[in-house]
Formats: sequence, C-alpha cells, structure tokens
Amino acid sequence: MTALAATKGPETVVKPKELSLVRVNVTGQPYDFVRPWQKKAPFSKRALGAVLSGGRVLVTADLVANQNYVELERAESGDKTAANVVVVDYESNLALLEPADKKFLDGLTPLQLALDTVVGDRLAALQLESTGALVLTEGLVTTIQMTRYPADLGQFLTYRVSISLQYRDNSYTVPLVKNNKLAALLLRFDQRTQVVDAIPAPIIAHFLKDAEKQPYQGFPSAGFGFFPTRDPQLRKFAIDQNGNYVDPLYGKIEFTNLITAKAFAGDTLPVHLQRAGKPMQLDLKLEHRNANDYVIPPYSLDRAPLYCVLGGLIFEELSRQYLREWGANWMKDAPQRMVYKDRFQSELYPDGNRRVVVLTQVLPANTTIGYDDVAYLSVRKVNGREVKSLADLAEAVKHPVDGFITIETEEDPKQIALDAKQVEAEAEALKQNYGLPSLQRLE
Amino acid sequence: MRCWAIFSIALLLAMDARAQQKSPPEPPGDQTPTPSPIAPPPAVIVAPPARPNGPIQKSLVRITATEVEPDYRAPWNSGGVQRGIGAGFVIDGNRIMTNAHVVSNSRYLTVERDGDPNKYPATVLFVAHDCDLALLKVASTDFFKNMVPLTLGGIPSLETTVSAYGYPLGGERMSVTTGIVSRIDFNLYTHSSIDSHLTVQISAQINPGNSGGPVMQDGKVVGVAFQGYSGDVAQGVAYMIPTPVVRRFLKDVEDGHYDRYVDLGVTPIKLQNPAQRHFLGLKDDDRGVLVGTVIAAGPAANSLQAGDVLLAIDDHPIASDGTVELEGTRVDMPEVVERKFKGDKVKLDIWRDKKPMTVTIELGSVWPYLYLAHGYDVKPRYIVYGGLVFQPLTLDLIDAYQPTDVRIRHYFDYFVLEQIYLEHPEIIILTNILPDPTNTYLSSYRGGIVDEVNGKKIRKLNDLAAAFAEKTDRFVLRLIGDGPPLVLDPKEVESARERIKSRYNVLVDQNLEEQPSKPTPADQTKS
Repeated sequence: MTALAATKGPETVVKPKELSLVRVNVTGQPYDFVRPWQKKAPFSKRALGAVLSGGRVLVTADLVANQNYVELERAESGDKTAANVVVVDYESNLALLEPADKKFLDGLTPLQLALDTVVGDRLAALQLESTGALVLTEGLVTTIQMTRYPADLGQFLTYRVSISLQYRDNSYTVPLVKNNKLAALLLRFDQRTQVVDAIPAPIIAHFLKDAEKQPYQGFPSAGFGFFPTRDPQLRKFAIDQNGNYVDPLYGKIEFTNLITAKAFAGDTLPVHLQRAGKPMQLDLKLEHRNANDYVIPPYSLDRAPLYCVLGGLIFEELSRQYLREWGANWMKDAPQRMVYKDRFQSELYPDGNRRVVVLTQVLPANTTIGYDDVAYLSVRKVNGREVKSLADLAEAVKHPVDGFITIETEEDPKQIALDAKQVEAEAEALKQNYGLPSLQRLE
Repeated sequence: MRCWAIFSIALLLAMDARAQQKSPPEPPGDQTPTPSPIAPPPAVIVAPPARPNGPIQKSLVRITATEVEPDYRAPWNSGGVQRGIGAGFVIDGNRIMTNAHVVSNSRYLTVERDGDPNKYPATVLFVAHDCDLALLKVASTDFFKNMVPLTLGGIPSLETTVSAYGYPLGGERMSVTTGIVSRIDFNLYTHSSIDSHLTVQISAQINPGNSGGPVMQDGKVVGVAFQGYSGDVAQGVAYMIPTPVVRRFLKDVEDGHYDRYVDLGVTPIKLQNPAQRHFLGLKDDDRGVLVGTVIAAGPAANSLQAGDVLLAIDDHPIASDGTVELEGTRVDMPEVVERKFKGDKVKLDIWRDKKPMTVTIELGSVWPYLYLAHGYDVKPRYIVYGGLVFQPLTLDLIDAYQPTDVRIRHYFDYFVLEQIYLEHPEIIILTNILPDPTNTYLSSYRGGIVDEVNGKKIRKLNDLAAAFAEKTDRFVLRLIGDGPPLVLDPKEVESARERIKSRYNVLVDQNLEEQPSKPTPADQTKS
C-alpha cells in the first residue's frame, strides 16, 4: 500500500484547483406507506454534485429520492439557486440536476469521465469543509465486481475502494476522481471496515447516454434468472437430459455486465444456449423492466402510495416500499407472509399483470367493530368480483350485494362484511376522527 | 401463539441456584419508619392451623431425571446429557404424578421421599406431552410404604388461598409457598408450545424445581405446578395445570394407552360485527362463531366448510366471542372438545347458507400440528447422502437452525393453515452439507426443500430414502422454486460415503425411525 503510494504519487490523482463541484442541498419528504394518506416529516441532506458538460450536475439518486426541493450552492461564494431533477434512475442510483439559473455554473470546468479504472488504481474522494476548502482523501481500488445497488434490482458493476473517509456535512454523494476525471460516485461506505463501494464511470457513462433520449428508458435486464453450472454433475445432466431445462449462461462479471453496462434497452443480444442438449442461438431483445411492471414493485419513490379506506378498513397495494417501513431488518421484522409474497412473486403470480391488494390495518369505528384483530390479509374478491388492483377494489365496492360490501380474503377470517349504507353514512365522521384528508388515492 | 417468556420450571442443575438469589436493595439513608395508616386490630389473632393440607411430606416425591437432549444439527449424535430436578406426588395405584417436562427425554430416573436416604429407580408409565403431565411407577414396593396418596379436588375459586409444594432451586427439603388464585383461563402449554388448555394462574411463588409438585387447597390437589415467567417479564404470575386436565389425562390412560387431545381442526372466528352477522342472516342474539380454515387432516373435514357458523356445541350455545357456559362459568368453546377423547362424538348446531343444520363429528387429533410442536422422546430423523443432510421440518429443527430463509419459514408457519401437508406431509429440507470434493459446488442448494427425485414426488423422509436406494445412474433432485435441479451421481456418492462418514464422525447414514432406541426395562410399559 505504501509502496504503491510512493511509486504512483498522489499528485497524479487530482489537481484541486481544477475541480468543478457544487454543493447540493435537498429537502426530502418520504411518503408514509403505513399511513398512506400522509407524508413523513421533511429532512434535509447535503451532498456534493459533479458538474458535467451541458450545465448539468450529477448526484446519486437516493439523494433526491422523494425530494420536495433541490438547491445548488457554489462552494466558494455561497451563491444558491433552485434546481430541477432532469433524470433520475433509482436502479443505477444516478440522477442529473439542472440549475434554474442557467448561468449558475458559469466558470466551472465540466468534469470528464475516467472510464479506464482498474484494480490497483488510486482514486481521490472529494469533500468540502464548511469553509469551502477542499478535503481530499485517497484510496485504493481493491476489487471491481458486480454488487446489488440500493434498489435491490439485479447487479451492477461496482468499484470497491479501501479508503479512510471522514464524515463531512456533505458526505451524501461523494465524487471519486482519477487524474482530474470523474471515476466514480460513492454508493455506500462502511465506517467499520473503511471500505467504499462506488458507482463506476462506465455505469455513469451508460446513464448519461440513456439520459440524452427522452423518455428515459433505463438499464436493460435479460428477463431471465440464471445459475452457475460449475457442478460437474449438473453439467452432465444439462447436456444429457431431454427436459426443457435451459443451460444457464456461464460467467460472472462478464455476462451480466454485458447486459447492464454495455447494452442498452432496445438492443438485440445474440445468445448461444443449449436446450434439451442441443446447441441453439436466440436473439434476445433487451428491455428495461420498470418497477411498476412487477406484481409487487421493488421500489416506489416520488410517488404517493395508493390506498382506499373503507369504513375503517385500510387497503393498499403490496410493495417492497411498504415492507421497508419495518426498517433495515424488514425481511425479518415485516409481516412474514407479505415478505414471502414479495420474495417469491414470480412463482406465486406467474402471469404478472396485477397487484396484490392487502387489507393492511383497521381503524376502529362503528363499521369495524369486531374486526380489530384483522391485519395483513390478501384480498381475493370484493362483492364477488376479482380484485387484482386497488382500482378493481374501488370499482367492486360500488356494487354492493344486498346492501353489503363483502371482502373475501386468502387468510382467515376468509370473509368480512360491511354495511354499504353505514360505510357511506359514517365516511365523513371517519375522516374527521382520524384526520384523513381523503378516503382514497387511486392514482 | 408461541410465548417465549414462559419457561417450564424443571430445575436444570447446570444452573447455580445460589447465584440466582439476590439480596434486597438497602433502603437509602436513615429512613424513619412511617406508621401504617391502618392501625393493627387490637384483638387477639387466632392462628390458622399450621398445616391446613396435612403432612404433604408423606405424598411429595423428589424426582431426579437424567436427560439426553437430541442434537438436531448433528442428528447422528446421541446428544448432550443433563440432569434435572422436579417434584411429583403419589396418587392412587402407587403411581406418581408429575410434569411431562420433568421426565422428557429421560434415560434414567430416580425418586426420593422425605426421611428416606434411598434413591429409588423409577420408570415412566405414561407421558402426555400435549398437556405436560406424566405418570411414573417405582418397581420397589418399599417406596410406597407409609406414603399417602393424594386425591384430586376441583377448580379453586378466584381469590382463595392455595399452597405449592416442591423443590424450588433444588435442595433436599420440601418447600412450601402460598398464594391466591389470580385467574382461570386458557393458556399455551409451553412444553409442546402448540397446545392450549385451561390453566389456573396463582400468585404463589413457583420456581425451577417446583415443576410437577402439587398445589393444594383444603387437603386436596387443585393443580400441578408447571410454568411461570422469568423474573424480568412478570412477577407473581405462575401457572398450574387444573384438575380437569389432570383427570382427563388419568381417564385417557385407563385403557393402557395415551391417545392425546382431540381437536375439531377448524379456526373459529368471532362474529361480533353487526354487518357481518346481518350478511350471514344471523339474528342479533350474540350467538355463533364463523368457521375460517377447515383443516383437511382434521375430523371436521367432511362435515364443516369455511363460512359455516357454529351456533351450539353439544347443546351449549356458543357466544359470538367464542365462549360457552360450562358448569356455571364461561370458558372458550374448545373446552367442550378438550374434555372428550379420541372416537367420542360432538354435536354441532350450525348455520349454513342461512339455514340451520346439525352435524355430528367423531373427534380425533390433527396430526400436522405435531410438526409444529416440540418433540420429545423421539430421535431426530435424517438422511445423509453424499454429505448432504436431509431432515424433516419440525419446530425442533427451526429451534436448532434458526433459519432466516423466507421460504422455509413460510412452509413452517403455513404448514397447517395453507394445508401444505397435503402435498408434502413432511417438508424435507437440505439442512446442511458436510463438505467433500464431491459436493463442493452444491453449497448454494443449502436450505432447499426437496420436491421430486427423478420425477417422483417426495412426500416424506422415507420416500427420499427409497428414492436414493434405487438403481440409476443419477439422481435429479428438484427443489421447490424455479432454481436449477441438484444432480447427484450415485457412483460418486458411494465413493465418498466412508470418507464423509469418518471425517465428520457420522455414525449412521440415516435414521428413519421416530422411536428412541433406548433399552426398555422389562417393567416399563411406557406409551
């Protein structure tokens, strides 16, 4: 480590004067998925953005998630201006900002990308003191591998950098540079092991190229699961067996990275595979899979959760964002049946093209007497009509049977009934009592 | 349903009893005692009889059990040996009543009595893990000389005084504590951790070593001390098994065999919502509970269906909160079934499609529940094949491995409610892989649930053993889910068999038998 530093020398990594960074101040206010009619308390985050050509500023997407207000600040003068989020991609965790005042970035030289980082390179993390003075910390790229990004959708190329980063008030997005060029953006930092995972320049370049096209498409995915076939006994089987088993594609970084980093949505990728023991070739058309294309969306940011309150019964569409309300250990702490449904959604709902409507909780009221213990039930039907979305539920509710709204659930009690007239008559009182601005949000 | 805080109160000797005793904190500074607001009555206090229950020493038994705890993580091992102390009492027929958890997994039992230096070997006559009771017998007739059998009383009234006898925290001499009856209610019996029966909560101190001891009132046994809370959860809350449960156990074993509790095998749901009652066409008479899941392996499978309303059970009207009136007190509806035995019938007045009906159900137990209960006096069942360890999913397995796998936990939690047992009466899990060059690429399959082998459904562990015994050039194991199959070459497995067995000290490749292989003494008729 010291030997490397001595041979390469820190001066080759960065020349501070030429840096073009701006402070980014963000006020975020997440939606409350447990009380879907409200937002949580606002909080602010400070970060550093990398100024790129075209008057745009690059930050990580989680910085601007659920943002209410974004502001850019010149480090040397303290001048501020409001900014817009031009493009945000939560899966690659990147976002582009644009100042409201077009001249705001004048005088800053845009950063170029350093696409050639390899293991053993030294990168410098850039932070600012409160005075605007530069804080520069150097680290070593120890591995380059595929890891999961915060949205937890597939794997992306990641640089792992061993670096003793200190906390500054704008540590949220930290640019890492090599030879005055932007090499990566901080993705996560482990204080204990002093290891940074960073979003590498090739992913940034892909994002920037995608961002030139409107509407923004996002990173492609192959649309199939895959498994390594290192086991020789399985390999023999894959060649011999007359089933429909598709021999998975071999390889680690190379293969998935080919799809995410090198290819774009809409590209066609020739794939050689073995099926039923015979070699064949397929042309895979790559697509981006939107979070909303899942039965249980893997993330829902910047969007208010849908809900429907019916006489005190609260219905929501199941999403991982909802389960994440149970905190960092949500996989263990959230209602296990719902975690199971999320985890195995492609097995449980192979046809897709639907949502899972859940009766999440009950607000005690005259209409819900005796239903106090009801929670986390999957709704099958309402008034005898199949419910595959909250919109289905809202429509079905309009058609009571003999004056009753009946709800059929997968789990016990399996059936719940409400008096349709009473639900309507007490709706206003329910809103008043629990401070609900509205009894439903369907889009 | 599981309540971790309640512990069964057999004293395990690994624990240093004296270390548990804490002196009360010193009062701060020089506090002058404040006079009591109520002056003590000046009248002469007449002392109550010193021993209202008679000389209990002549009935109380100190039980020392040497137990072998099965090791579900290394199921081929015999398991760890530990010794525990509990209490018991003599009843008619030269039998000793105690808790099941005092003698569970025991390999050697001795009993002692007051004023006799001898330790008498004892054997288990009957054990009922679902209600935490056991009967012991002692071969030596000397033991019962001068011993006084105790008789059973009824359910003590609230607020009346009871005395508990036993050997809390060990010790050679009998200990007595007193308290009052605080509550009478259904509660979980933590020994099996799935069964709920009537319990009586008392304020008498009960500690490890009290287990199995009698709780007395007016010279009669009104309960068997069995579980309590650890001190940091609740104090002055102890539980005894009331005599209806004890009597039921004694009646069940009259035919020489314990049959376990019977169950309806349905989930009853309270019907307190007026709209729901109207929708079902019920009157506003606070009667009836809704049937949710009907367990296909239960006795009601052919008689009841989801959506039925249970109005009365054996002519006892069922209230909308699921209670019935029995002998003047309100108890949970299952209490009616609880008092019955295998093969007994129960009459149910039901409401189906807005019409009354009557059905009669022959009661039996619901076997899938056993997989959700702790197992005792059973040997862990497993197969080791090519270093791959396969075990059926049970509560003990969950306790041993504490799996975080979402699928395994779902299959356990919904084994009964989603009737998973219909397709897989046993959930066979690849719990562990004993590393060997032949299985080095298989680690990602760990935690998988076996669905098929070579196209044949694996329903029980024995199916897997039978599948592996077949002559073929490869075994293709399909695991539940959309992952790749696991492929095993029998030749490779065979070549590695002895190597794996000796390297990991796997004494036996598989155990498919549930019964323990312990030598049975000639006089033991344990069921």
